[in-house]
Amino acid sequence: MLELAIGIILGCCALGAGMAMIAGIGPGIGEGNAVAKACEAIGRQPESKGAVTSTMLFGCVIAETTGLYALVIAILLIFVAPGRLVDILMTTLGK
Amino acid sequence: MQKIDKIVLKETKYIAVWVLIFSVLMQAVFLVIGQWDYTVLLGNLLSATVSLANFLAMGITVQKAVQKEEKEAKQTMKASGMIRTFGMFIVLLVGVLLPQCFHLLTLIIPLIFPRIAVAIRPLWDKQKPSTKEGSENET
Repeated sequence: MLELAIGIILGCCALGAGMAMIAGIGPGIGEGNAVAKACEAIGRQPESKGAVTSTMLFGCVIAETTGLYALVIAILLIFVAPGRLVDILMTTLGK
Repeated sequence: MQKIDKIVLKETKYIAVWVLIFSVLMQAVFLVIGQWDYTVLLGNLLSATVSLANFLAMGITVQKAVQKEEKEAKQTMKASGMIRTFGMFIVLLVGVLLPQCFHLLTLIIPLIFPRIAVAIRPLWDKQKPSTKEGSENET
């Protein structure tokens, strides 16, 4: 029974980490769209290249943060959470 | 090798300065609460370097992408995003797997320093309106 409980904990942590990384798709798409529009803008007004690139870079940083949060959550779920949860389980069972 | 654009270098310097300031602040906080040891410093160093390298890599990719066609630029950014995320995952993995060398919290917190630096950018720009007005008048 204990093995089953530990197995469920590990499985759920791995599943959660995988689901968290779904958020990693967003920044790629967002940055891609931003850069595509920037290309369009620079094509129309080549003299504004500096301002567009600068603004876009910061926009990309903001978009990227979502992916970073997901990455951190996934790493915590894979490497930190299972140990802590199993410890809690053992303490609760008094083992 | 392609030369790095002046704008990318300028923005990377801006981010680097703020990452340094926030890192010093974080070290000070750890010192004050009595949790400071060498793992805090090492974790902070690794994470701050990774976040800066990530920003620079993104800047270089953006610099390359804006010279391409719209569709190609999109693909380049997507591929770059994937590679950078994977690289960060590997570095963080090494950090998490070596708890005797790197403090977990100081490994995670500096990753969002560039985001904070970008968030306070409008306040920073507000303090020097004369240069902005000057450039507007010139055009």
